[in-house]
Amino acid sequence: MKVNTVYLLLFAGLLFFSCNQGAKKGEDGQIVIGASMLSLQSEFVVNVKDAMEAYAREKGIRLIVSDAQRTADKQVQQIEALISQKVDAIILNPCEVEASSPAVEKAKAAGIPLINVNSETTAVPDGFVGSHDEESGEIAMEEIARRLGGKGNIVIMDGYMGQAAQIKRAIGAKKILEKYPGIKVLAEQTAEWDRAKAMSLMENWIQSYGNQLNAVFAHNDEMGMGALQALEQAGLKDKVVVVSIDAIADALQAVKAGRLDATVYQDAKGEGEGAVEMAIKMAKHEPIEKTSVFIPFQLVTRDNVDAFLK
Amino acid sequence: MSSLKANALSAFLIKYGILIAFLVICILLSIATPFFFTSQNILIVLRQVSINGILAIGVTFVIITGGIDLSLGSVLALTGVVAAGFAHPDTYPLIVPIGLALMTGLIIGAANGFIITLGKVAPFIVTLGMMTIARGLALVWSGGRPVTNLSPAFNYIGGGDFLFIPVPILLFLLVIILSGVTLKYTRIGRYIYAVGGNEEAARASGIRVNRVKLFAYILCGLLAGLAGVVLAARINTGQPNAGIAYELDAIAAVVIGGTSLMGGRGSIMGTVIGVLIIGVINNGLDLLNVSSYYQQIVKGVIIIGAVLLDRRGG
Amino acid sequence: MDFLLQAENISKSFPGVRALNNVQLQVKKGTVHALMGENGAGKSTLMKILVGMYRPDEGSIYFKGQSVHFKSVHDAIQSGITMIHQELLPFPDLSVAENIFMGNEPRGIFPGWINLSKRNRDAKELLERLGLKIAVNQRMGGLSIAETQMVEIARALSNKAELIIMDEPTSALSDKETSILFDIIRELKREGISIIYISHKMDEILHIADTITVMRDGEWIGTYPATEVSQDKLISFIVGRELNTIFERRNHKLGDELFSVSNLDGAKFKGISFSVRSGEVLGIAGLMGAGRTEVVNAIFGLEQITAGTIKVKGRPVKISAPNDAIGCGIGLITEDRKRTGLVLSATVKDNMSLASLKKISRGPFIKKRKEVEVARREVRRFAIKTPSVNQVINYLSGGNQQKVVMAKVLLNDPDIIMLDEPTRGIDIGAKAEIYKLINELAAMGKAIIVISSELPEVLGLSDRILVMREGRIQAELTANEATQEKIMQYAMNTTGYNYQ
Repeated sequence: MKVNTVYLLLFAGLLFFSCNQGAKKGEDGQIVIGASMLSLQSEFVVNVKDAMEAYAREKGIRLIVSDAQRTADKQVQQIEALISQKVDAIILNPCEVEASSPAVEKAKAAGIPLINVNSETTAVPDGFVGSHDEESGEIAMEEIARRLGGKGNIVIMDGYMGQAAQIKRAIGAKKILEKYPGIKVLAEQTAEWDRAKAMSLMENWIQSYGNQLNAVFAHNDEMGMGALQALEQAGLKDKVVVVSIDAIADALQAVKAGRLDATVYQDAKGEGEGAVEMAIKMAKHEPIEKTSVFIPFQLVTRDNVDAFLK
Repeated sequence: MSSLKANALSAFLIKYGILIAFLVICILLSIATPFFFTSQNILIVLRQVSINGILAIGVTFVIITGGIDLSLGSVLALTGVVAAGFAHPDTYPLIVPIGLALMTGLIIGAANGFIITLGKVAPFIVTLGMMTIARGLALVWSGGRPVTNLSPAFNYIGGGDFLFIPVPILLFLLVIILSGVTLKYTRIGRYIYAVGGNEEAARASGIRVNRVKLFAYILCGLLAGLAGVVLAARINTGQPNAGIAYELDAIAAVVIGGTSLMGGRGSIMGTVIGVLIIGVINNGLDLLNVSSYYQQIVKGVIIIGAVLLDRRGG
Repeated sequence: MDFLLQAENISKSFPGVRALNNVQLQVKKGTVHALMGENGAGKSTLMKILVGMYRPDEGSIYFKGQSVHFKSVHDAIQSGITMIHQELLPFPDLSVAENIFMGNEPRGIFPGWINLSKRNRDAKELLERLGLKIAVNQRMGGLSIAETQMVEIARALSNKAELIIMDEPTSALSDKETSILFDIIRELKREGISIIYISHKMDEILHIADTITVMRDGEWIGTYPATEVSQDKLISFIVGRELNTIFERRNHKLGDELFSVSNLDGAKFKGISFSVRSGEVLGIAGLMGAGRTEVVNAIFGLEQITAGTIKVKGRPVKISAPNDAIGCGIGLITEDRKRTGLVLSATVKDNMSLASLKKISRGPFIKKRKEVEVARREVRRFAIKTPSVNQVINYLSGGNQQKVVMAKVLLNDPDIIMLDEPTRGIDIGAKAEIYKLINELAAMGKAIIVISSELPEVLGLSDRILVMREGRIQAELTANEATQEKIMQYAMNTTGYNYQ
């Protein structure tokens, strides 16, 4: 009896506490923007979210952020919830190209402007702020080709198989590889975006290809860092080029220290701010010059790394 | 007598089936690739399996009592970021991050144990809940970002060598020995089997069943904490999203090793072999450059096959 | 040939044990064929082979003149052989009709559908044929053990069984229920159905069986017409030696009061008070469900006591868990060895030492060598039949398992020993050994409490007898004044009854 009451109180308290952070609907005409993000366990997405929140605070609007945890189905539900809350605009950071499309269509049907941030869906949204993910794969592979002089043996670490980012980065890399017949892909394998798995995979590859290997391309920096560590432990780093994508803080530090050869910067701040800015304009029905804003990727090497380190 | 011979064979298979399966896999891989059976590769496999191994040994205790722990992967991430948070260079002595991580694991394990025994809630449900709670805590603690810039002394735990042997392997060995001795030679070890084999009979024999279960869950949490430290040190970061689905690899290893999910039966050596089988498969398929898609199929088939071979005798 | 079933030269081995060696069995149509033997004689193994649970290593089985090789219990049932197990296995939350037709439901109009009205009608017909007044839509779990057994028989009939194997069908039945069962068996015989009847109860077998087969140590000893063997002869066939007397009267003085309870209340009993002296055997008699088991379980800390006091050697003690009871020098040999007595997946040695590990430990460590020594000693002392102390206990026979439970409890050297149905489902040889042991313990000055549903056992063992009914003590009788009739009178609250 007594224990039950305590549980109940705790439970109620917890509910109150967690609700408190969410549900205050904008008072006196304050603009409310809802957002559903791919995954708040990904550092890059967290950076985009932080930029969005900072910009929203600066502009005095309310931003509701939900985490789709890489599940398109959950993402569609979150958009439905935002629609029923009658937000003024929605920012969608899609989980999947196809499977997140119903979210776009539902917002359209409800007459709420929707902006895709970072990546695309099949259904065309009202606005888009982001990059072509293929481009990142192209830039990274071009850098590897440049460093190897168009000739050598490489291995590729894929992201989680079947996810949009993995598919597009792979397409971009393949496009460049076709230009350089001298570059041979010894092996291609997924390490599921995970540093520990990448490290194990690289250790195993070192056993099979140790002395023939000239470069590693990893679909993200986490895996790039894992590969880097495995190479360093095997004493092979000075013989092997490692290039990855995302320019997370750890990777930038590694570039500065001369450990990681290059990473590809995706402008989280530019994307986040751009998306919120467009959303505010659409909510206020102000004219917009361009409904598609492409924020280019940039190659980060030791020469320009300081500009990206804040 | 042919039937007696058959009996001897089946008794042999019951005892050594899984070891034979392991050796067969190793021999096949040695034939398939020259890179497999080298001293360097063996050390690499051992280093790679040490994290899953430490987790699997912890959950072996829980599974023998007839329980389950699904929170392992999340606890690994939580203890990893906790350790990393106190392991920046020139801040705290090494004992602080390690101690705090182990303490965190212990507390989570104790919470699991208390809710399961006193609250009388099914272990599956409690640890499933704890899985998301611990993951949430890890994200809160780290702000969703990897905790980086760790001291060389801390990273030594994951990447260093001691007497030419990688530290994770030494830690794994230490855990094998201590837990093996506990399970086989101490009263609490015997009680763990008894509770899993027949809880009612154990209670009627004067065993304090709740304490025994609590011990298992605490030990499991503590070892998850140790694994979290080793993982963070190995990858030089505390990753809040590390260890997703690691509990499944650990539980798979335990089951391959002949421990019954119904409780009452199992051994540390079995679990170690289970861990090695999974590790060797991962390593071998990478060495052979089997495609990512096929790797998953091959892995599943080998896991089921190994267990089938083990059950042959039973 | 007029044999319904013929099993010839059946042999079967398990790892380390030869369970059956060239055994034969012939059952005539429409007869009751009793199968007797000590636990471990191989009766259960033979039956499991007949119903397809095991396959024989050697030998052949003919059913209705055809050679048969059952691959599963399902095969055997399809052919017309059904076994009613000692531990009944119904689905407690389903209805009687659902239980009767489980796996054999009458088909409805669509594939996968059940013709419910036909099922209930058929179930009702079957129960009426057996002369039973059980509603077909009643929940199975609400039935008594006897009723459950009758439903199992109905289930066998629904499968058109021609041979029904009954394993210890009366072990949990009262005499009255037993006579109802015998009426049903006679009815089945009349319908041409054969019964293989396994039991340890001599008088029952001589009463109901037409033919008796005796087994010992996995061997066939002989098959005899029931009218031509005497009880003494049968016992000597079963144990392989002449058994003089089962109960030996003790001849020693009783000591001081060792143990007493006063006004104990619990969920299923009220106002229980009694005391036991050193060297005394106190019997507790009563029907199933009278609250006897609950009383000893509560004293041992397995169930809750809501009021009352327990005194050991005159001092009040608090017992909230078995651990406390053991600490006070109390030991309990529980009623159901499989459920609360043994860890079936563990070895003989591990089971034996489980309650007394502290005594053979140094710090947290078990002294392994000492443990093996102790286990071997106890195996010799109790004459437990096992290939080794490292044998998994599940492979032992019931009597040997029971001896391990006793050894386990006694290793703690308790002063007060409570035995709940210590000889249930045990053969006569093992029973005699257990009686002898109880007497020895009493002679050593222990205080002993024995619960038993077998009246000769209570009368033969006890110095004093308590009779319980509906959770209360109805009477306390001395050994001299107690008779079977008197005990039953108090236990049933009637003026006696007649065993036919």
